[in-house]
Amino acid sequence: MPSLLARLKSQPQTGVITYAGKRCAVAGLMTQADKIRQQHRQLAHQPIALNFTNLAEFISAIIAFDGWCSALYLCPPNVSIAQIELIQWPLESDLSDQSTAKENNTVSTNQQTAWYLATSGTTGQPKWYSHTFASLTASSKYSEQLQSLNWALLYQPFRYAGLQVLLQTLLSGADLVDATEHEPLAQLAILKKAKVTAISATPSLWRQLLMTGQLGDLKLRYMTLGGEIADQSVLDKLKGLFPKAKLRHIYASTEAGVGLVVSDGLAGFPAKWLGDHSQSVGLKVSDKQHLLVKPKFNLCQNLTAQTDSQGYLDTQDKVAIKDDRVLFLGRATGTINVGGNKVHPEKVEQVLLQCAHISQVRVYPKTSALMGALVVADVTVKTEADQQEVKRELLQLAKNQLQRFEIPTKINIVDKIEHDPSGKLNRK
Amino acid sequence: MNLEQQIKQAMQQVAELSDCTLVEPIEPNTLLLECGLDSLGYAMLVAQLEEDLGFDPFTELHIETYPSIFAEFLAIYQQCANNQ
Repeated sequence: MPSLLARLKSQPQTGVITYAGKRCAVAGLMTQADKIRQQHRQLAHQPIALNFTNLAEFISAIIAFDGWCSALYLCPPNVSIAQIELIQWPLESDLSDQSTAKENNTVSTNQQTAWYLATSGTTGQPKWYSHTFASLTASSKYSEQLQSLNWALLYQPFRYAGLQVLLQTLLSGADLVDATEHEPLAQLAILKKAKVTAISATPSLWRQLLMTGQLGDLKLRYMTLGGEIADQSVLDKLKGLFPKAKLRHIYASTEAGVGLVVSDGLAGFPAKWLGDHSQSVGLKVSDKQHLLVKPKFNLCQNLTAQTDSQGYLDTQDKVAIKDDRVLFLGRATGTINVGGNKVHPEKVEQVLLQCAHISQVRVYPKTSALMGALVVADVTVKTEADQQEVKRELLQLAKNQLQRFEIPTKINIVDKIEHDPSGKLNRK
Repeated sequence: MNLEQQIKQAMQQVAELSDCTLVEPIEPNTLLLECGLDSLGYAMLVAQLEEDLGFDPFTELHIETYPSIFAEFLAIYQQCANNQ
């Protein structure tokens, strides 16, 4: 598999990146990547922790390190990686390798780089999943039509959703406009100014962009939905606004690194794909109504133990088959998807249980037409406590220790919390 | 209390819960995304109004376009209330 740098060099054209009011050509970032390899030869075959500074430096680094370093950890800010010896990039001091700097040839290796992306875990510590460059770019390709697109970057590029857009843009030779750190109205102003023609976003973010009332001012040719369940209502509205644009919704499992692209404008995917071996991913539904997937590339080692005898992995996504469509219902693990952000109910429960006045807590999702789901908590209160005071205390604990999307939007004080026969909380 | 007052009261509750500050005054043509609530705030508002009023127009109605100003948001609730 050629590296990112090799693939970019073989393309007829590369694009332009715009961020924070600056424009830079990908060709210039490729030159920068070559310089990194020449000046820091000691990094070859080493594992790197890449810390985000700005978009241009991030892109130069991934171009330099893919196919050259053994591993590349894309670190979200303030995330430390325990028990692994990694070289932190950017380097803390100038450690350029003077002995080899005089040689002007480009260092080339055939190192297969393992890419690692963080997902949030139940305890608040991120879990790292490895991906190959091949799996990350399975659906990226170069074509004249794709090359003419101008993509919006709406997600941080060290996250799976943002990285997908970034790699798709680079490898199709398209342009990219960074609008990650803005609210929807400001994002739309940036997108209009830059004349963006392609957007990939969660259904929740698409709804916010629709709420600006200005989305129709853009001339979109490509629209992608991913990161949470795409419902028919949002698909219909986008199709109505841009009838000629390509509309795709993607089901992806960050852990398995698989993506399923549906382009017929209908929610879910065709039931005939189940058991169809010509698909890019093997698909079947288990007795528990979970979706099982079998990618055509090797799974991350963390996951191989979780596969069945035929090599299918349980995605823990619950599905239902209705009218020849396989529809997604949510996570079997109880994980709540709030507008594309994962919330682990156990983590929220642990925080709320710090309140001395409550005896039991149950955190579960409430369906929301705007955000997919919201977090709700039921609690049982010890008899002597004042209920309003308990609610205030719980909210304060949540605000101090949880991210905004994790904070229960409603706390109900109940008499009793049900457990299922195995003693587990019933979160349904 | 009429529907408009109920919605504004629920907005105030959600704003307090989310540590947000609403703009004053909210006029019919105030942009929803400039009222002081963010997207999560609106999802909370719709959930709160479902409890107060007993319906959620975003689930029950096939909404042609998403509301972008306060008057459109109110109109969606008025239409749904008339259908109840």
